[in-house]
Amino acid sequence: MSPRRTLAILRKEFRHIFRDLRLFFLVTVSPAFLLLLLAHVFVLDVQQIEVAVWDLDRSPLSRRMVAAVTSDGEFQVQAWVASYSELEQLLRAGRVDCGLVIPEGFARQLEAGGPAPVEAVVDGSDPIAAIQAVFSLSQRTTAFALAASGGGKSAPVLIDVRSEAWYNPALKSLVSMVPGLAAIVLSMPALALALALTREKEVGSFESLIATPVRGAEYLLGKLGAYLACGILGVLPVWLVAVLYFRVPFRGDFLLYLALSAVYFLAEMGFSLIIANFVRNQQTAMLLVLTVFFVPSFFIAGLILPVDTRNLLSTLVSYALPTTHFVAISRGVFLKGVGPAPLQTHILLLLAMGVGGLLIGLVLFRKRL
Amino acid sequence: MTARIGNLIWKELLQLARDWLLTTFLFVLPMLQLVLLARATGRGVKEQPVVILDLDRSAVTRELAVRLDNREELVVTRFVEDERALEEELERGEARAGVIFPSGFAGDLSNPTRAAPVRVVVDGSSDAVAGIVQSAVETVFADYTRQRLAEQGIRTDPAIDLRVVTYYNPTYNVRQFTIPAQVGFITYQITLVIASLGLARERELGTLEGLIVTPLSRTEIVLGKAIPAFLIGLVNFLFLVAIARFGFHVPMRGSFLLLLALTVPFLLAEIGWGVIISSVSRTQQQAILFVFMMALADLTFSGYLVPVKNLPLALALVARVVPMYHYLTVIRAVMLKGARPGDLGLHGLALALLAAIILVGAVRRVSRRLD
Repeated sequence: MSPRRTLAILRKEFRHIFRDLRLFFLVTVSPAFLLLLLAHVFVLDVQQIEVAVWDLDRSPLSRRMVAAVTSDGEFQVQAWVASYSELEQLLRAGRVDCGLVIPEGFARQLEAGGPAPVEAVVDGSDPIAAIQAVFSLSQRTTAFALAASGGGKSAPVLIDVRSEAWYNPALKSLVSMVPGLAAIVLSMPALALALALTREKEVGSFESLIATPVRGAEYLLGKLGAYLACGILGVLPVWLVAVLYFRVPFRGDFLLYLALSAVYFLAEMGFSLIIANFVRNQQTAMLLVLTVFFVPSFFIAGLILPVDTRNLLSTLVSYALPTTHFVAISRGVFLKGVGPAPLQTHILLLLAMGVGGLLIGLVLFRKRL
Repeated sequence: MTARIGNLIWKELLQLARDWLLTTFLFVLPMLQLVLLARATGRGVKEQPVVILDLDRSAVTRELAVRLDNREELVVTRFVEDERALEEELERGEARAGVIFPSGFAGDLSNPTRAAPVRVVVDGSSDAVAGIVQSAVETVFADYTRQRLAEQGIRTDPAIDLRVVTYYNPTYNVRQFTIPAQVGFITYQITLVIASLGLARERELGTLEGLIVTPLSRTEIVLGKAIPAFLIGLVNFLFLVAIARFGFHVPMRGSFLLLLALTVPFLLAEIGWGVIISSVSRTQQQAILFVFMMALADLTFSGYLVPVKNLPLALALVARVVPMYHYLTVIRAVMLKGARPGDLGLHGLALALLAAIILVGAVRRVSRRLD
């Protein structure tokens, strides 16, 4: 293998990327641009729960409870209903998220010291939202019950629970999602590499490369090097968007973050090399990257829901996805400020994927059509 | 005219059938993807690891540890010796939360004049999980307190008894929520891949000129590209819904025909976008990268990551013109909630309108680009 020829391929690739402005943008700047777009979704940390009320009691106390529950704006009364079928229709159409049914005799029972039953009808089709809605609603009704009964006989506090959330004290979604989404947007350079490799075959420029003395390893390493370098270059704008624009705390070491991003790119690009070997055109390569990496990373990489480690199959599937590891690494370095030691499992797995992919790619690569 | 379009469609399908790898991927990959994704999606935030630092080592703290472990959201994985070890577990991601009982906890608990302090530390780096774990831990302590006070004859049940009735998914099974979304995304991805590359590929390989000089009109060329993409998307949708329904027991409470009727404008709108992307890109590589950017934008506004009503106003308005948002609402409402046509009128109308506008835009765009 000659370093000179590898460098020549590297230079050719760089020239390719830098000449085509759109390609340059997509390989280096688009991750930051996409992060900017995606993360805005998490800027507002409010939860709005729309509620339909069926007040069978029609007492001043029941009206006061509705007012108390909705006073801070988290719960908003969308409709007043007078039957279950009306309530169900609103839930079915998605116009409300839950119903609050206050039975007749509510005020009487509450004034007698309770317990006064109140029914919450929740739309369980979004379970996470439903769990949160029930939790918030029960907090509010309990607080109202205490206030209504004079607040005097509040129970003695036996256990003083002091909860603290480390790494993200206010439990802001934005803080936890931006480092996670960085992993997803940084998969663009690997996609570009898979396309660049298949493109040469499809467009026919691969044929003239075969005629040159360039060896397979030199060709692959040159291509990989160029896209890896551009990928690393693209980490900086992503980091700037996260830290300066979204004001996500960065507690770790920037050089470590850069190095670990390179390991992530290597793992993803290892897969790109393998894919490009089997695939003859860009359409197929794109389909593979979309189905194998991109769409799954939203569901099983631990971005929102945790990786299900109780089940062997789901652990294997999630761990085979490089994004899963980089979501953990990115959150670790950004928010926890950790060094490489606590992340070693993820780093080693990514390295294994990268080296394995590279070796398989080199072994399988044939300089012929 | 129909004969000409028929010929073009036939050509497209022949071309596809010759590329057996792509054909296999187009029909096998989506199903495989749904099966793997659905199986890999957990049932929700359950059995999250918790470590305990018990400096009191009393019967009470042991009982509380057992109670924490008994909560379905939590599982006690380790007892650590000091705070540094607890921190390491959180840093490594081996634990989602740590509970620290200081020494003298049991004594304070039986002392009526003071409250027994306990520290609960959660890993905030994953906020949704942290929130659920935190409230699970707090509920354990609250339940324990209530029981202890009841033993002393003090009633502490709240004066309002909130009874929760959950419709549509009473066990809060997260799979029922994610699988319809996965069906939507996978159908989307296949349709867009086919539609977006059709013209860009012909242009890149130089065969587009050949197409233009045939008697085919611009509209016919667009239709010839769009109809195969539509058929492939539709076939995939049918397979995926069947897998969701019979393989993963996601209910189909509403009418399947209604869902099918609303899938048509969704597919048409995505094909329209595909054709537009295809016509603005000079190479397939550009088209593909555009598709990825669009897919990300669509995911953002789909309501899967964050419910659309919780978005800032400007973004919530943008979401209204994203077909994916309407479609995810529709597929969930029909499958899980048994929605009827009247319930989904606005979303159906929006899908039809968006499909019409995007398709007209696509045809006009192509007419200008091809000349």
